[in-house]
Amino acid sequence: MDKNYHIFSDGRIERSEDTIRLETADGEKKHIPVEHAEAIYLHGQIDYNTRLMSFLNDHGVAVHVFGWNDRYAGSLMPERGQTSGRTVVEQVRAYDDPEQRQSLAASFVRGSIHNMRTNVTYYDSREYKLGGVIEDLDDATARIGDTADISELMGVEATARRAYYRTFEAVLPNSFAFDGREYNPPPNPVNALISFGNSMVYANCVSAIRATALDPTISYLHEPGERRYSLSLDIADLFKPVLTDRLLFRLVNRKQISRDDFRDEVGSCLLNEEGRTTFLKEFEQTLERTVEHPTLNRKVSYQYLLRLEAYKLKKHLLTGESYDSFKRWW
Amino acid sequence: MSDPVSRLVATAQGDAIDDPFRVTGVMMQYYYVCERELWFESRNVEIDRENASVARGARVDESSYGERSQENLRLGMIALDLLEDGRVVEVKPSSTLTEPARMQLSYYLWYLDRVLGVEREGVLAHPTERRREDVSLDDDRRDKVESAIRGIHAVVTADSPPEATEKPYCESCAYHDFCWI
Ligand code: SF4
Repeated sequence: MDKNYHIFSDGRIERSEDTIRLETADGEKKHIPVEHAEAIYLHGQIDYNTRLMSFLNDHGVAVHVFGWNDRYAGSLMPERGQTSGRTVVEQVRAYDDPEQRQSLAASFVRGSIHNMRTNVTYYDSREYKLGGVIEDLDDATARIGDTADISELMGVEATARRAYYRTFEAVLPNSFAFDGREYNPPPNPVNALISFGNSMVYANCVSAIRATALDPTISYLHEPGERRYSLSLDIADLFKPVLTDRLLFRLVNRKQISRDDFRDEVGSCLLNEEGRTTFLKEFEQTLERTVEHPTLNRKVSYQYLLRLEAYKLKKHLLTGESYDSFKRWW
Repeated sequence: MSDPVSRLVATAQGDAIDDPFRVTGVMMQYYYVCERELWFESRNVEIDRENASVARGARVDESSYGERSQENLRLGMIALDLLEDGRVVEVKPSSTLTEPARMQLSYYLWYLDRVLGVEREGVLAHPTERRREDVSLDDDRRDKVESAIRGIHAVVTADSPPEATEKPYCESCAYHDFCWI
């Protein structure tokens, strides 16, 4: 129920009895046990039909599609869990109330900066001198409460993120130069890794949100409509430092990913198939990692933390109990 | 018409009132198990159930068939099981939940009496222990049922749920993570 399956090859997937069969372009056949699947990620050119869609729908399995340049292209979401009119009404109400929207958005920013800061202090304590950035992040945090509207809040977030990305240059080896964040297309390997990792975080958040009947299109920090599932952007920001960035540092510094894992095209750089496989294998392992939860009194996986975040938001919206965004505590 | 009890009776008797108020047997049980859970259920706060431990509602319903009953009666807001001799039977789901089951049964008896004018006796069955407890509607029970109806009304009409307080059944509750994150 909690496994992601990634398909890189071209081919076709279909329902076969009570399971899913993948047949790759070169004739290889594989089976995906539907009962374990949370979502299927399609990275290659894959054909499928409506019979498969109904089957996945019955089992509550999402499909996330990635297109050219590893860009997230969309999701096919199971219908289950999408039907809570009341939740949507409360989501919209909170969006429409400037004070409540601001406070939710502020909470997202506070959490994001906290989680960036945790990474910075981790590397700061390991011989990299990043102290100045910690101050910048603390300054940004101090300004959150003074912001008058969402755009100011966005500004604070952007300043913090810029300061944060400065540390990448220091932590990563020279062969992985990083001159700030650039999006599409990513111009160098570090940007390629960030883009790829963040799109995985994003898609996983879409799944988590959908499982709770929240409407993924109604968001607070990001403007609804900025992307189709803008609530996923709000939540993903909290988890990028934990899921993408730490992994990226580890893979590069331990040389599990090297310059050979990328393919350069004019003006852009992308992971090649081997690079994506390495990254995703480790990414999925990270999602399966567990940590003792302070109030649930049991271990929860990183992936379940995404789900819990959606629960917390939903609880806040439906009960009025306060929402405190995810802040890495370990 | 502001007293929840008379409103409930009016709703049950099919009188047209502006603000109908319903209490099911399960609601009565939740009220005694956990008021917060009652609030969630009343608002249809759905959490993904296939992942959480078994929802209590489902568990209670399924276990009700542990005792053989002759008839299964649906009467407006309540659905009850009758024994061959006409007594109302309720199966006690677990040893920790005796009082909720007893109150659910008392509510059925009260409903039959107050809404339909039918007097019945009740049996609380403990299939695992092969024991039965007779329950009849005395004044004391009547008062308890009516004050529970008022209590339920207060819970389900409140804007926010009662705070979470730790109970032995939290562990197996479908809302566990929802309450304790
Ligand atoms: S987890 Fe505990 S407090 Fe929360 S609804 Fe369930 S029984 Fe009530």
